[in-house]
Amino acid sequence: MRKRNYLLSSIAIGASLLLAACGGGSSSEKDDSLGKINLAYVEWDTEIASTHVVGQVLEDIGYDVSLTPLDNAIMWEAVSKGEADAMVAGWLPATHAAQLEKYGDNLVNLGENLSGAKIGLVVPSYMDVNSIADLKDEAGSTITGIEPGAGIMMATEKALEEYPNLNSWSLLPSSSGAMTVALKQAIANEEDIIVTGWSPHWKFASYDLKYLEDPQGVFGGEETINTFVSTKLEEKAPEAYKVLDAFHWTADDMEKVMLEINDGKKPKDAAADWIKENQDIVKQWTADVK
Amino acid sequence: MSNFLNQIPALPVGDAVEKVMDLFTNTFSTVFKFIQTDGTALMDSVTNLLISIPPIIFILLVAILAFFATGKKFGLAIFSIIGLLFIYNQQLWEQLMNTFTLVLFASIVAIIIGIPLGILMSKSTLADNIIKPILDFMQTMPGFVYLIPAVAFFGIGVVPGVFASVIFALPPTVRFTNLGIRQVSKELVEAADSYGSTGLQKLLKVELPIAKSTIMAGINQTVLLSLSMVVIASMIGAPGLGREVLSALQRAQVGNGFVAGISLVIFAIIVDRLTQSLNKKSI
Repeated sequence: MRKRNYLLSSIAIGASLLLAACGGGSSSEKDDSLGKINLAYVEWDTEIASTHVVGQVLEDIGYDVSLTPLDNAIMWEAVSKGEADAMVAGWLPATHAAQLEKYGDNLVNLGENLSGAKIGLVVPSYMDVNSIADLKDEAGSTITGIEPGAGIMMATEKALEEYPNLNSWSLLPSSSGAMTVALKQAIANEEDIIVTGWSPHWKFASYDLKYLEDPQGVFGGEETINTFVSTKLEEKAPEAYKVLDAFHWTADDMEKVMLEINDGKKPKDAAADWIKENQDIVKQWTADVK
Repeated sequence: MSNFLNQIPALPVGDAVEKVMDLFTNTFSTVFKFIQTDGTALMDSVTNLLISIPPIIFILLVAILAFFATGKKFGLAIFSIIGLLFIYNQQLWEQLMNTFTLVLFASIVAIIIGIPLGILMSKSTLADNIIKPILDFMQTMPGFVYLIPAVAFFGIGVVPGVFASVIFALPPTVRFTNLGIRQVSKELVEAADSYGSTGLQKLLKVELPIAKSTIMAGINQTVLLSLSMVVIASMIGAPGLGREVLSALQRAQVGNGFVAGISLVIFAIIVDRLTQSLNKKSI
């Protein structure tokens, strides 16, 4: 019985402290805030870099920005429903064609934010094979993939159907991180490996890699990364809309941020550093902001 | 034989489920929207409140609670202080508070739904026969599957995370409540009847007090299961330590994954011991 009193009194102390904290007011929001913006992204190295940079720029002009990492399909759905305000991760025309078809009607496409992107099957340069059509049974007839929901995985599955020499091959889903680890291990042991690759990506700066030729054109040609926002954004946050519309940078810019993050810098810090060093580019994005 | 089997066309089960889900989503969209907006606001304010408590005070509170809850032993109290300081030191405090809010809400909702269901099952064989297979279904369905309707109903963020966690974590509370009440000895129930107690009196004065420790064991299981599910719920945007784990997984960062993982373990041990110690109290 006595024990119980102790418990009750400690709970009472706790509750009173909670109330005291309440009285202090939990004003985590800035008074000059233009409002809340929620950016969705997928934890791919490219999107971690771009989303953190854009998010930081929006923070700097006075928005309260939250970044939500999601699975690819859910990211598209979230923006189309207005759960998230925007994303800068739409790979077109081929990679995310399926998602664009499904959710595109309820999205505003603000055009490309990076051109010269590419997806395909990637191998270390020491492998003799140069074309998908020439693959036989390398790497145990297995392609090392990334998250099952990614567009490149669908494209690779299509390639397994379209290339007759790949009909006994399998695609192994993992994650973007696990894929780069597998790549690193294989290169360290000079083993064969075929991965689902895309650029811009730091792996091309770190290792000697090559894309396999794609005579059937399954992976499409050059890709662009596009910005999509919810249909409500222009009304809700016109200034953010302007910045997202103007947001555009090069593969070199992105790779700088990616490399820093890959070398262990926190994404937020890497983004802030890049912004500091590239004020001229950032000024173009925020030129129309009042 | 195989020819005969191949002649049966694939049953459109998946399509049917999609249609039912769509119907559900559209019919209850206003209700879902309301739960989502208000639930998010409520949970955000709780999280902000928790974050606004100075960590050192929070840690001391937990330690004091642990000290008295475990019968004035120092073990858990010291473990809480060291463990929580470690989490704070790794700059995961805010994530921990987010996870705490999620577990708190998921557990409370699961208990509010679970105990009445368990009582119903213990009182009615029909309900028992109907609900048991549903519970089996809920417990064997992979947790990831619940994320899909959760997004359809409640979008992304904390509310669908709690929804998925509740479904995943509900069964132990229901089962143990049912079991605990059914195990109350017949003699005691007969004695209560012979004194002319009403059904409600019998439940509150005899059955629930005797079944309490079994029910508490179920609640303890529910809390821990909801903790494991809120980690998975980070795939649909639920904030907290789960997000750190997922990000480490997707980027193959062993170190970050370990730190976030060990933080979850510390949190789970504290929550587990505290809920268990509530059970040891003499009534």
